[in-house]
Amino acid sequence: MFNRENKLEKFKDAETVIGASIKVKGNFHGQGNIIIEGSLEGSLKTDASIFIGEKAKVVASVEARDLIVNGEIKGNVSVKNYLSLGSTAKINGDIQYGELSIEKGAIINGQLLSTGPAGKKINEKEEGRENKLKEEE
Amino acid sequence: MHVYIYDDYLNKSKYSKAVNRMEIRLTDLGLNGKIIRLGGIKNIKGTIQNEIKLGAKTIVAVGNNQTVNKIIGAIIDTDVYGDFQRKTLLGIIPIGNDNSIAASFGIKNEEEACNILLARRIEKIDLGLVGDRYFLNEATIEGLGTTIDLGDYSLEIEDKGTVRIVNLLSDKANLIGSNPHDGLLDLIINTRKKDQTLLKLNKFVISNASEQLLIDGVIEVKTPAEISVDRDKVSVIVGRDRLFQ
Repeated sequence: MFNRENKLEKFKDAETVIGASIKVKGNFHGQGNIIIEGSLEGSLKTDASIFIGEKAKVVASVEARDLIVNGEIKGNVSVKNYLSLGSTAKINGDIQYGELSIEKGAIINGQLLSTGPAGKKINEKEEGRENKLKEEE
Repeated sequence: MHVYIYDDYLNKSKYSKAVNRMEIRLTDLGLNGKIIRLGGIKNIKGTIQNEIKLGAKTIVAVGNNQTVNKIIGAIIDTDVYGDFQRKTLLGIIPIGNDNSIAASFGIKNEEEACNILLARRIEKIDLGLVGDRYFLNEATIEGLGTTIDLGDYSLEIEDKGTVRIVNLLSDKANLIGSNPHDGLLDLIINTRKKDQTLLKLNKFVISNASEQLLIDGVIEVKTPAEISVDRDKVSVIVGRDRLFQ
């Protein structure tokens, strides 16, 4: 099962932190881990992980590899791997995820779509095996 | 040849002991060179540029942050910069207060600075730019009312506090390891609510209608101002205990 504590450990190395007194407007696209404690309007995207703090307000589409939400998001969410919704999380929008963990109290108003990274990996393995067989032939 | 640029405030008697100690140490280490006292010179830029043209191997700022900034201002983006980058190193001997730049390089006092000059541990350092003014350490401005515009997005600060734009860390109290080789500046915003914002940026515009930007604790600049970074701009002789890797 997805371990939220372990995921939080990773954020100690976050390159980008938006504090509670900061308002971000526009397309905020990063490469490293991002922590949002303030507010953001526009879009939020990274190849790594995003942590949305309890008092954070995000009015944006959100894309990340991993995402931990304890605050509010208004917008569609797309997570390649792990999505964790804490008890104070509130999401108004459609959610696409690899794996999902939801604590009691979290609110979701939108559709949930699993892309299943485990299933994807199996498919990739199958494709790889097929390619190998073709090469051997 | 070493060229020592003495700042004008070192003429004051309270610094004479420190200057004597430094000169004795330099003699002991065989690091004697030409001394230029800025006190009596009108054309500081021209004098420093002339020494580089004459083939100075090391230009040593003897003084404080302002001394270093005067030398940087005389060299960067001038005709002699090419020569300076190829042949000349920048050294610092801190005397008196306001020496955060030397502290960043791990140089605590004048005697230690002499040993560091002898060891010649060299680092290429980025320089921060506010408009056309270079800075080594950092630029600061009041947080409330400050906007940071990066083109794709902007940051607005909604509480009192301090905005620091750091090239070279001058204290160890910060959470981030500032790196003057990475071609990035660290934007650190601390507010009254004790929350901290950290970003690594290379180009942005900062503006505050009622506050000015303070560069290296010395020069005030009006905003909006474009902030950027020039990579590996200066070769500096640094100490082992420098505050960066």
